[in-house]
Amino acid sequence: MTAKPWYSGERGVTQLAAAVGSLVEDVRRVRRAWHWDTPRPHTWPERGSVVPAPASDLGWARQEPVRTIRYLIQQGLLLPFTEAMSHPKVEGREWVKELDRPVIFAANHSSHADTSLILHALTDTARDRTVVAAAADYWFKRPLMGNIVSLFLNTFPFSRTGGAQGQLHASSTLLKSGWNLVLFPEGSRSQDGRIHEFKPGVGHLANETRTPVVPVHIRGAQRIMPKGQKLPLPAAARVRIGKPMTPKPGEGSREFTGRVEKAVRTLAETPKSEELQGTWIERWRASKPRELVYGED
Amino acid sequence: MARPGAVIEVDRNTPPVLFHYGEGVRLERLPLGSRIVYPPDPLEPIAHPERAIKRALGKPLDDDPLKSLLRRGMKLTLAFDDLSLPLPPMAAPDVRQLVMEEVIDMAAEAGVEDIHLIAALGLHRRMTADEVRHIVGDRIFSTFWPDRLYQHDGEDPDENVYIGKTAQGEEVTLNKRAAESDLVIYVNLTLVPMDGGHKSMATGLATYRGIRAHHNVKTLLGSRSYMNPPDSALHHSCIRQGQLIEDTVRVFHIETTVNNHAFPSLASFMQKRETDWTPQDQAMFLAMKQITDIAPPAFKRNIFHSMRAPYGLTSVNAGQVDAVHEKSLDAVRNQISVPVEGQTDIVTMGVPYLGPYNINAPMNPVLVVCMGAGYLFNLYRGKPVLRKGGVLIFEHPCRYEFDAVQHPSYIDFYDEVLADTTDPLEIETKYEVRFAEDPWFRQLYRKSNAYHGAHPFYAWYWAAFAMEYAGDIIVVGGERDVVHRLGFKAATTLEDALEMAEQTVGRHPSITHLRVPPIMLCDVQ
Repeated sequence: MTAKPWYSGERGVTQLAAAVGSLVEDVRRVRRAWHWDTPRPHTWPERGSVVPAPASDLGWARQEPVRTIRYLIQQGLLLPFTEAMSHPKVEGREWVKELDRPVIFAANHSSHADTSLILHALTDTARDRTVVAAAADYWFKRPLMGNIVSLFLNTFPFSRTGGAQGQLHASSTLLKSGWNLVLFPEGSRSQDGRIHEFKPGVGHLANETRTPVVPVHIRGAQRIMPKGQKLPLPAAARVRIGKPMTPKPGEGSREFTGRVEKAVRTLAETPKSEELQGTWIERWRASKPRELVYGED
Repeated sequence: MARPGAVIEVDRNTPPVLFHYGEGVRLERLPLGSRIVYPPDPLEPIAHPERAIKRALGKPLDDDPLKSLLRRGMKLTLAFDDLSLPLPPMAAPDVRQLVMEEVIDMAAEAGVEDIHLIAALGLHRRMTADEVRHIVGDRIFSTFWPDRLYQHDGEDPDENVYIGKTAQGEEVTLNKRAAESDLVIYVNLTLVPMDGGHKSMATGLATYRGIRAHHNVKTLLGSRSYMNPPDSALHHSCIRQGQLIEDTVRVFHIETTVNNHAFPSLASFMQKRETDWTPQDQAMFLAMKQITDIAPPAFKRNIFHSMRAPYGLTSVNAGQVDAVHEKSLDAVRNQISVPVEGQTDIVTMGVPYLGPYNINAPMNPVLVVCMGAGYLFNLYRGKPVLRKGGVLIFEHPCRYEFDAVQHPSYIDFYDEVLADTTDPLEIETKYEVRFAEDPWFRQLYRKSNAYHGAHPFYAWYWAAFAMEYAGDIIVVGGERDVVHRLGFKAATTLEDALEMAEQTVGRHPSITHLRVPPIMLCDVQ
């Protein structure tokens, strides 16, 4: 026998209270049952499609007029704000001044400020052709936020939990389409500012697409916006960019990732390393302005 | 063809003439019959500077092509002039940047791994990183700063070496890196005939010990004028030192000259003769005059010091120093020479906001003297425009205003030394060494952005000849106390100053106004 509705006139107020109570209980249970902000238990089966939409769904962020809008936002807001907050000192800018082909920027990660510091260190041309891999389970949890971040920084969702092939497919497609890629191979922001072990995805991507990897070390970002802090604070920062690295013949993804990690660690410690930052002649040649070649009529 | 300089006689129809007045401007009416000397118009610059530079390096004067001097494994040093040249600072790209980029391209091609770039400051202040970047450009700066591109430190005992003495007993010191190099390439910018030649290395990469050999009262009083090297004891001394340097290290000189296009279009009325002013120029003058009359000094300074001169390259020569410098002097004289007939009883001039030693700083009273009675008075060849015993009148607000970062020793010089005496010889004997060896001034010179402790003395010595030669020096519009401290007379208006001058030179004096800047060189016949 089904219970009569509260408006039937029988047990009126009592039944209304029971219905409201039941609704409240349901809502509470639903709210407490899913923990999207904690790591997924490893015993769980593989998730089907990851939370966000696939990378191609954010293609709008890499098309006009969004690129122009982003350029204006970055020139008018992001870069002046970064400059004012940290007056970043950039070393090795010549390596990213005249890029002939797409590269992967592999940087240490200790703060949300890292991305703007890297973008600040790039030339306008390079920045316009750069996408940033953003954690799908963090930035794209809420579609609106994901879209806004994509508009500002040209991010795309990068899954931290799926299988290697699936994760890297979107990235390699972007690289093959001529986009530079900013990756934080540690996978997450460092709590203590130290560089943590790099995940092998960066080596895998470089091997698969034969793309050079530019090691980048960022110092000071953690003081601007450490993990858990909502608002940035002014602090000096330094971005040190190394010479592009390519996998040696026969070098596996893990070995190459290890080499990239070592390069970032060395950049952090050594002021001048010719092996990583190049001789002056290499840097001088790298910074040579590209000569315009006019076609013959 | 650019219009040559001219001497114009003031008649009833002559418009009033522009006087620079520190960080301001004035229009003054000169008595009928006075002369106004105008600099020549800017010469047409070289259309393709890069090609001219390549050509100069490929076919140097009395030397081998630069390419043949560069080889793998050598120690190469590039030295270049600091921000004191040109004035105002040149709009980017600076010609030194263009030359250095070409030289570095060649060095890279030759595989020269050991290369250093040194800003040849002498005893000038260290430049800020942005100032260095402005001279050398972004590409050189980002490749070499700060480990291979740095500034000479004339007080570092480990980084300077004593080379020896000239036949006249002048001690010669040199930056150690330069002295140990297989080749030193000096990239210079010659704005006036005083610059360049042997003086570049002998002062730019030297220490106090070497520079004091010619930056002293005796030598500067014996220089007629500094702007005419053959008649300058200062330059003879530098040549002797330079020859000793060349015996020690192989030097390849590259000298550039620019035209006298000193003011951007916003202030083009300063570049033009008053008879050529358009209504826009008049409006611009009025606007600038009103603003500078009421604006606070710091605001005016920011505006003036942000001006960049659209100088154009007029010559570039490379090779052996004497041959190169001769060509540079020809090019400079070609741009700035103005024939002037005879001397005059009174010379008037406006002292502008900028001299070689106050880039991005106020022109303090000692520098006003250096600029007016030192540099501007000496812009002549042969003999001064002013007759012996005549009166020098210049306009400047002459405020008690010092930049504590750039000019700390100037403050003490003004407060302590000038309170005692203004006589250059006495000042030199009593005070110079104490200031030069003061540990605090030394520290500020080495680690901050301060001029050397001895520098205010040199600034004062530059004016020694004018102070001895002129019967009187009158400053119009200056703060009375300050002007008196400098040992000069103060006047409120130009008319007052001319009346005061008549007491020295007699009634109905002849008057000549030097309309500088832009820079000119009076060829007095």
